Amino acid sequence: MAVSTLYTPQALNSTCSISTPAKSHVGFHQKQLVFYRRTSKRVGGGGGSAVITCSAGDSQTVVIGLAADSGCGKSTFMRRLTSVFGGAAEPPKGGNPDSNTLISDMTTVICLDDYHSLDRTGRKEKGVTALDPRANDFDLMYEQVKALKSGVAVDKPIYNHVTGLLDPPELIKPPKILVIEGLHPMFDDRVRDLLDFSIYLDISNEVKFAWKIQRDMAERGHSLESIKASIEARKPDFDAYIDPQKQYADAVIEVLPTQLIPDDNEGKVLRVRLIMKEGVENFSPVYLFDEGSTISWIPCGRKLTCSYPGIKFHYGPDTYFGNEVSILEMDGQFDRLDELIYVESHLSNISTKFYGEVTQQMLKHADFPGSNNGTGLFQTIVGLKIRDLYEQLTSSKAAAPLEARKA
Amino acid sequence: MATLSSLSLVAPRAMPNVPDSKNGGPVKAAYLNQPWKRVSQMGSRRVQVIRPVRAAPDRISEMVEKSIKEAKEACSDDSVSGECAAAWDEVEELSAAASHAKDKNKDSDPLENYCKDNPETDECRTYDN
Repeated sequence: MAVSTLYTPQALNSTCSISTPAKSHVGFHQKQLVFYRRTSKRVGGGGGSAVITCSAGDSQTVVIGLAADSGCGKSTFMRRLTSVFGGAAEPPKGGNPDSNTLISDMTTVICLDDYHSLDRTGRKEKGVTALDPRANDFDLMYEQVKALKSGVAVDKPIYNHVTGLLDPPELIKPPKILVIEGLHPMFDDRVRDLLDFSIYLDISNEVKFAWKIQRDMAERGHSLESIKASIEARKPDFDAYIDPQKQYADAVIEVLPTQLIPDDNEGKVLRVRLIMKEGVENFSPVYLFDEGSTISWIPCGRKLTCSYPGIKFHYGPDTYFGNEVSILEMDGQFDRLDELIYVESHLSNISTKFYGEVTQQMLKHADFPGSNNGTGLFQTIVGLKIRDLYEQLTSSKAAAPLEARKA
Repeated sequence: MATLSSLSLVAPRAMPNVPDSKNGGPVKAAYLNQPWKRVSQMGSRRVQVIRPVRAAPDRISEMVEKSIKEAKEACSDDSVSGECAAAWDEVEELSAAASHAKDKNKDSDPLENYCKDNPETDECRTYDN
């Protein structure tokens, strides 16, 4: 049996399969070179040299789905997520300036609005909102996500949010981590099966109203009534098509008004619940003190002083749409750095690489909205969990062919 | 030094104006003698060269206003129709685009943007030790 040695300059990130006599094949992919030595000694009849074929990106792309209402691409969650992996995500250089795509070293974020089949005038004619599945091309979405997942670059259309038209496509190369963000990542079941992890951002009506007021009141033409009317008009389609996706999500971040301040309608202090599905591969839920038990925790006391209204945590198992889940809940705000580090030191299973990583990530983006409450905290933790999931998936795929070689 | 820089400023602008590049010398001298002509040429050239590459936020604000008016009209006849929902959806989309554009303009620092693309230039070099 001929011996071939395999050398890779970097960590083995590609699947290599070994096949007996065929044409030699050397694949060159991004930053990876595979050298093999083929001995010409033939032992017996047939079964000569072994050939190694390697392809980078071959089912190595981890696909994450994020469902969130209205707008995508530049949202805070995406920036936090890409920051966990290192580097800032930016729109593709030299391309369409109104592109919704964000690219960093490890991740590419695709906005699912790009798969609209009807542009703004088309939707107006048909009387259909963007939330309606009839306005989206799920076949194209499935084909392109499948192609990117298996390492093939695609020409993805661009939906220009300013003009409301579909612009000429841009080339998307398969990244290590692909995030698809938008209204319908989990709507189509074929696309859902391609996702390695899915997240749903569930903002309650009161909080949504408060946020939209903050966002739109400075706009000319907007008034409280117009903002309310806009939310009300979209609600039927939202409840029918978008909301049901939360039952399929592996993690749901639910944002509710606080219970610490009676009759609060400013929406500044928030109660955020991280609902994590049990039994998801490569994902172990975050817990407080004792996994599987029910804990109610107020960290403010003798060791930690907090200002009004303080912080309250809750953790416990529950069922959510028929699935077993664990819920970690935070109500209140962080005012000081030491509150954040204190809380982090008591959470378990947060997949940090060093003590204080969550705090460091939160501080790095202290200007992002939600950096002082549960939204920022849970978004950062989910980002770390996704990094952990990615590392588990890539190391398990690299381990498998090594096993085959030994056999 | 100053003359060199002024020549380099004038030269690219003078070139398209003069079909015969051999006449570059005398034309430049003419500009120097009649500076009012030079200023107007450079002024007009500058206007031609600058092109907006992104939608301006105030343009989007106007679109938001217009879409709200249209949505109110569409819903005045029938407040549960698809047209009404589609119109308010458009308002929502444009409001989101307007706030994104505002955020983008708010935190764009010209020096930081330049240094991101050209870290080796003198203005952008950082010394860590």
